[in-house]
Amino acid sequence: MATARSRGARIRSNVFAYANLLPYVFFVLFPFYFMVVTSFKSNAELYNLKSIPFWIQTGAILDHYALLFQKTDFVTWMKNSLLVAVVATSASVVISILAGYSLARLRFRGAGSFGTAVFVTYLVPPTLLFLPLSQVVVWLGLADSTLALMVTYPTFLVPFCTWLLMGYFRTIPREVEECALVDGATRMQTLWKVVLPMAVPGIICAVLFSFTLCWNEFTYALTFISQSAHKTAVVGVTSDLIRGDIYFWGSLMAGALLASIPIVIIYVLFLDYYVSGLTAGAVKG
Amino acid sequence: MTSRRRREIALAYLLLAPTLALLGCVLAYPLGWEVWASFSNLSPLQDSPSFVGFENYRQHLENPEFWLAATVTVGHAAVTTVAKLVLGLGFALLLARPFRGRALVFLAVFLPWAYPASVSVIGWYWTLSPPITTAYSVFMGTLKYAVDNALGTGAWAFLSVTLFNIWRGSSFIGVLLLAGINSIPPELFEYATLESRSAWQRFWAVTVPLLRPFLALGVFLSLTSGFADLANVWMLTAGRIIFPVIGTQAYWLAIGAGQFGPASALSLLLVPFLLAALLVLFRLFDPPDREVA
Repeated sequence: MATARSRGARIRSNVFAYANLLPYVFFVLFPFYFMVVTSFKSNAELYNLKSIPFWIQTGAILDHYALLFQKTDFVTWMKNSLLVAVVATSASVVISILAGYSLARLRFRGAGSFGTAVFVTYLVPPTLLFLPLSQVVVWLGLADSTLALMVTYPTFLVPFCTWLLMGYFRTIPREVEECALVDGATRMQTLWKVVLPMAVPGIICAVLFSFTLCWNEFTYALTFISQSAHKTAVVGVTSDLIRGDIYFWGSLMAGALLASIPIVIIYVLFLDYYVSGLTAGAVKG
Repeated sequence: MTSRRRREIALAYLLLAPTLALLGCVLAYPLGWEVWASFSNLSPLQDSPSFVGFENYRQHLENPEFWLAATVTVGHAAVTTVAKLVLGLGFALLLARPFRGRALVFLAVFLPWAYPASVSVIGWYWTLSPPITTAYSVFMGTLKYAVDNALGTGAWAFLSVTLFNIWRGSSFIGVLLLAGINSIPPELFEYATLESRSAWQRFWAVTVPLLRPFLALGVFLSLTSGFADLANVWMLTAGRIIFPVIGTQAYWLAIGAGQFGPASALSLLLVPFLLAALLVLFRLFDPPDREVA
């Protein structure tokens, strides 16, 4: 009797969950589905007033993808994105490991306020900074080059990674480090041989988020770079496939899908790290 | 003070040096420049900028367009934040219990946030404002005119930006709150189930207070990203100022019109909004002392 009721309750609550999740999942996935459909449709069908917008009737074609590879700098944009993301991420994570360790472990006057300052810095939105930073980039002689992005991205990556890693370093028990120090290791040796191996999950998390933030960054990449050959993927796709009022819709969708493949792969493979980064309270929405 | 202790302090500053140098050169300096520019009539079209005091600010504050942009900015941030919280919380509560296919649903729901916003926004633009020659453009066009007629020109654009940001933000807040729920010891929920009369009561008396730090962080991040939204608005309105927010107006003034002084002043007028959001956060939850859960 009791088991029957609890089984009934369980089924009811499962039905309730599915019924509620279904519209939500639809809302979440529909734009992606629509992008895929559009990217494989012929222009004739795309612009046919009598066609059905939500699926492909006259056969899927690859023309939009071909245009992307043959008529635009798409491959270069992807290379630029990758290069910028890798350089900015590695530099930022190294700098942040040092700063995060210093703030988390070494006792000195003002460690607390430095920590807060780093957090507040991270919250300064790019909307506020793109203007003066574009001047800095010009003065540094980096205007209109991918170097401009490699230099400016650490301004939001370093505060973010430092904040994240600070939290991770704090979870490592002090005793472990003290043992190494008593045995005669220097602080740097302790950091390198004891703390870093224990903080690997945190470092992976910092790398993943930094890479994602770099890859997805839009405002700076749009403002600092005007030559097509130096654009990053997300800016190249949106700026070169929209010319005035002319939208290359099919290729635009194809580009929007392809440009995000690296991020989607990373995200599917390392989902757990993403979630742990969120719990660390360090990620911007 | 022992020499060992002194060495440790020196090391602390040494390790911090690259960060401080970076933040000083590429963050503090530009911010200072921006403050200075906001008090001048700086422009690439002009050789010698001169100091104009609070003139730029005065012009903005007396300009009805600024107040319109400010209202839209605040309205946009508030509406999206509430919607994101409701959707995100609902999603987190649904996903908190195990069921078949949970991992897949989770992956799907997290995707809008992980996906590059500047390209997923194109999918939305295509959906909401299709070119007039597509099959569903008649329907969307009718809808657009109905909305614009009922609520004023630009309402549809506002709605589409709001929808997009809810789509993307609720994904983030949902996962954030789910992580929050998972970090709460399950015994607390079990105990609450025994003690409380209804699920509704349990929700308000137990779940919400326990999730407070996560809710606060979610609200804060949502408000700041809402206030400072530039890229999404820009993309969803195809770079046209159909309805103004502070971010796009500043971009337009600077890059379009070359008026760096007024544009800087406008950007800096965002600061009070951001500070207000920060104040709310620090009242509800003190981030610098938090350890990784």
